[in-house]
Amino acid sequence: MRKISSKLIMKDERQITMLVKGVPVTIMNSVRRAAISLVPTIAIDKVYVFENTSVMNDQMLAHRLGLIPLNTPKNKYKTKEEHDCEGECPECTVYLYLKAEAMDDHVIVKSGDITSDDPDVYPIYSDIEIVRLAPGQKIELTMSARMGRGWEHAKWSPVTVAVVRGEPKVRIFHNKCDLCGECVKVCPKNILKIREDKLIVTDIYKCTTCMLCVDSCPKEAIKVDIDENNSLIYMESVGSLKAEDILVSAFDEIIRKMKEFTKAVKGE
Amino acid sequence: MEDQVPEEENRRLIGDLNMMIPVRCFTCGNVIGDKYSKFMEAVNKGIDPKEALDELGLNRYCCRRMILSHVNIIDQFILYEMVRLKDAQDI
Ligand code: SF4
Ligand code: SF4
Ligand SMILES: [Zn+2]
Repeated sequence: MRKISSKLIMKDERQITMLVKGVPVTIMNSVRRAAISLVPTIAIDKVYVFENTSVMNDQMLAHRLGLIPLNTPKNKYKTKEEHDCEGECPECTVYLYLKAEAMDDHVIVKSGDITSDDPDVYPIYSDIEIVRLAPGQKIELTMSARMGRGWEHAKWSPVTVAVVRGEPKVRIFHNKCDLCGECVKVCPKNILKIREDKLIVTDIYKCTTCMLCVDSCPKEAIKVDIDENNSLIYMESVGSLKAEDILVSAFDEIIRKMKEFTKAVKGE
Repeated sequence: MEDQVPEEENRRLIGDLNMMIPVRCFTCGNVIGDKYSKFMEAVNKGIDPKEALDELGLNRYCCRRMILSHVNIIDQFILYEMVRLKDAQDI
């Protein structure tokens, strides 16, 4: 068996980049797909409109509300598949409320105005503009948010970008290179530098393998390859979950599916 | 009050009217709904649009075009609505 090793390259609340050596891109891609469509999050699913005299119609208002990312507490709410319920029960659903009225001046209703039954479920960004009200206009809504997965609707998908690609490899033949600097000028990521009479690559994982450096070199002293046996995975979170949690949950989801499959094979 | 709008007609209206900046980027799903006002504020102060977009953390061109190409039509809609309300009061 091939040896597998992982290296964390960059991580913050929103983003994560990892290099997984020994796992081909084709296999790592299933993790990416699980992150997009299988990792559960919570989002507004139904909107009960009691009053809406704004210029925006109910459907559009509901659509906008659905897209607001909500903080998803860990292991607190269940998805549809995990329990038996006809839609709304306390195990899968949280109620949120939005009430706003413009008295003398125009009011911009923002996601921060939404109140929630559960202090752990709240809009991550409080400045998202939902609708603008003119004097005399009013909205009053109750929303039910439930756990769901990206394959049902994109609003439940926890990631914006999720990319898997092969590890970039830049090789420089120092005996051929005459330090003309053409490749340094042309690299869109500015990762090639001449330091102490030597051409070096500063941050290899930023290389997009665009091959511009290869085309620009008059001496054929630089070569760029993509090693598809090692994968570079990059994810950016919408905000509802931490980037690292998404990656871990994606693996969990794959394991869950594997177990289901094993059961089916055994006829259980 | 308004007449019942046929469903098809309604769907067309929803599709056509993007009155406020969409909540998410159409392409990648990044949240942009909270950034348009901040962008306009910065640009009105004389800051270069490129720098304003960088400042907001929009580093993909899909999200950048959402902000750059947006027209806030809700302001115009609200004008008509206010005229209608005024007329109703006069009668
Ligand atoms: S392939 Fe493109 S990004 Fe990579 S080093 Fe060459 S010019 Fe820079
Ligand atoms: S373009 Fe070729 S010869 Fe010139 S610095 Fe780059 S690698 Fe060296
Ligand atoms: Zn985007």
